[in-house]
Amino acid sequence: MEYLSLFVKSIFVDNMIFAYFLGMCSFLAVSKNVKTAAGLGVAVIFVLLVTLPINYLLNTYVLAPDALIKGVDLSFLSFIVFIAVIAAIVQIVEMVVEKFSPELYSSLGIFLPLIAVNCAILGGSLFMQQKDFLNIGEATVYSLGSGLGWFLAIVSLAAIREKMSYSNVPAALKGLGITFITVGLMGIAFMTFMGIAL
Amino acid sequence: MDAKLKETILNPIFKGNPITVLVLGICSSLAVTVTLKGALVMALSVIVVTGISSLILSLLRNTIPGRVRIIVQLVVVAMMVILVDQILKSFEATYAIDKQLSVYIGLIITNCIVMGRIEAFALGNKPWPSFLDGIANGAGYGLILIVVAFFRELLGSGTLFGFDILNRFGYVPNNLVILPPFALILLGCIVWVQRSIQKDLQEK
Amino acid sequence: MNTNSNVYTVIYTTVIVVIVAALLAFVSQSLKAKQDANEKAETISQMLTAAQYGTKAELDKLGNAAKLDKYAEEIEKAFVIDLEGKELRELNIDRNELEVYSPKQLKRQNYNIKGGANKTGEPEIPVFIFKNGRTVVPIYGAGLWGPIWGYISFESDLQTIAGAYFDHESETAGLGAKIKDDPSFQAEFKGEKPDFAAPQSEIINIVKGGAPKDAEGKSVVDNSVDAISGATMTSQGLDAAIDTWLEAYAKYFTANKPAKEHCGKCGHHHEGEEVEPKAEEE
Repeated sequence: MEYLSLFVKSIFVDNMIFAYFLGMCSFLAVSKNVKTAAGLGVAVIFVLLVTLPINYLLNTYVLAPDALIKGVDLSFLSFIVFIAVIAAIVQIVEMVVEKFSPELYSSLGIFLPLIAVNCAILGGSLFMQQKDFLNIGEATVYSLGSGLGWFLAIVSLAAIREKMSYSNVPAALKGLGITFITVGLMGIAFMTFMGIAL
Repeated sequence: MDAKLKETILNPIFKGNPITVLVLGICSSLAVTVTLKGALVMALSVIVVTGISSLILSLLRNTIPGRVRIIVQLVVVAMMVILVDQILKSFEATYAIDKQLSVYIGLIITNCIVMGRIEAFALGNKPWPSFLDGIANGAGYGLILIVVAFFRELLGSGTLFGFDILNRFGYVPNNLVILPPFALILLGCIVWVQRSIQKDLQEK
Repeated sequence: MNTNSNVYTVIYTTVIVVIVAALLAFVSQSLKAKQDANEKAETISQMLTAAQYGTKAELDKLGNAAKLDKYAEEIEKAFVIDLEGKELRELNIDRNELEVYSPKQLKRQNYNIKGGANKTGEPEIPVFIFKNGRTVVPIYGAGLWGPIWGYISFESDLQTIAGAYFDHESETAGLGAKIKDDPSFQAEFKGEKPDFAAPQSEIINIVKGGAPKDAEGKSVVDNSVDAISGATMTSQGLDAAIDTWLEAYAKYFTANKPAKEHCGKCGHHHEGEEVEPKAEEE
């Protein structure tokens, strides 16, 4: 039950996009059509799912004060360690995508390597550090939930944008402009989830 | 100064603005634009960091192995930012400044503009243009930040730089404006204005 | 040279990682003493602010050394207690070896109070009694983006809040950061009376949309404070942090309340032997 509530909470209440507004750059830029958006969404889920538990273990058993050797506090390294882990995983994902789906690779463009600086990923690790998860199970469930939340958000935005391409939007507002405004309105709608305690 | 260099500097400020055209650095532009002061501090930090990290990585560009370039880029940027933070923290005179800045450290390292410009420009260009490109992109980002923060602080708190402007006339601050979604709506409006002037940026 | 060969890639990465790690470790070690000194002076000025020895801005005009002097001059007694309110040991209040609790130490005690897998030992929480009769205790918890902490001072009746100062690591400027930057938010805590008999989550309530007020705009509920608008998560985090920590101090406060005030609500007897000698009211 604990896991289930953590899972649901991390998808909706603590949604990375609409509650924390993290990972916006790729979210806005790669949401022109559902297929590419889903591709990036899956990549984000994967990267979060792998990096967050690894960072949890590193944080608990290496970086925390007294974790490795008594009296040694390595927490000043946590930022750089988290980032190095994330960058390494993103690098691997990039190579895999390039090899197996060159089409997706070219449509993601610069935003694939930019997953590494996707604030949602580092944000996940930093929130993990702060939420004081009791075990790796909780950290994994949280990472899966956050990733899914991000995936849902980008796919729904992409779906709206696909529909919107038939609407009569002022020329200067077409594309990016109206997307900003749509996301703003979606964010206001998602605020209804805020304050729900599970 | 030759024309190409001039283009490198001027382009990111308006025509190729990192926020409104390249869609980089959105997260931080939502988080730091509630007050003008916060926006200004963040803008200055990002200008410095993008400039210097573009310069360093451009110097290293021929030695970085392709397969680990992301790690190298991020580690170098993060190290630089953390070093500055640590040094500022150790002196009595700069400790107060660091307390103001430390809030933004995470946002600076993960600011897509820093890495976006390294990936797109610094890895393929000589150090001097890369440095200028970094500075100019930081400035273009800062410009949007300040415009957004101006409206959000004025309408959301009725103040500018903390000084009362509208409240004395009986203005009731609008709480919607200080929430992040409103920053997105404002950015949408800025894009609207920009593309009405720059017709070639309009999407079909 | 072929920069894409495996050997080159491995060597290059290793060299970069070693250089970065060594540099950071060296800088962090060599500057640690200075950083700790700065942090200690900052902590002291926050406690002095909470105990109403001046505003934070006034205290910050003093240098580090002057802050330490002022603290050493004004502190009456500092000690560590357990959750039962029993004194475990005294903290050093000698000018050159002042012992205070840094945010890192508070974090550890926060784990210990809450229990669970992150617990590292039995809780040892500090109490600072100043010569103006005020008792300062810390609080610690999680805000929206990172840790938040602060100091709350009580009048000598150990029931009424005399002042508070909060700090944070990375809350949003202009929203959550107001817990630190907005003196009027901190001033709202003055005069509030935490309800130690209530369930933990209601010891102090930070209420969205405004605490109940009478016609003159004075708060009518003793333990209720206005939340910061637009900063729901930070306000909730602060509420939880205060509740958790004040509950940890509840037994100490109840047991050491000055005897002249009749304690009708809780009914049990005061354990007179353990009462610390209190400074008289000003």
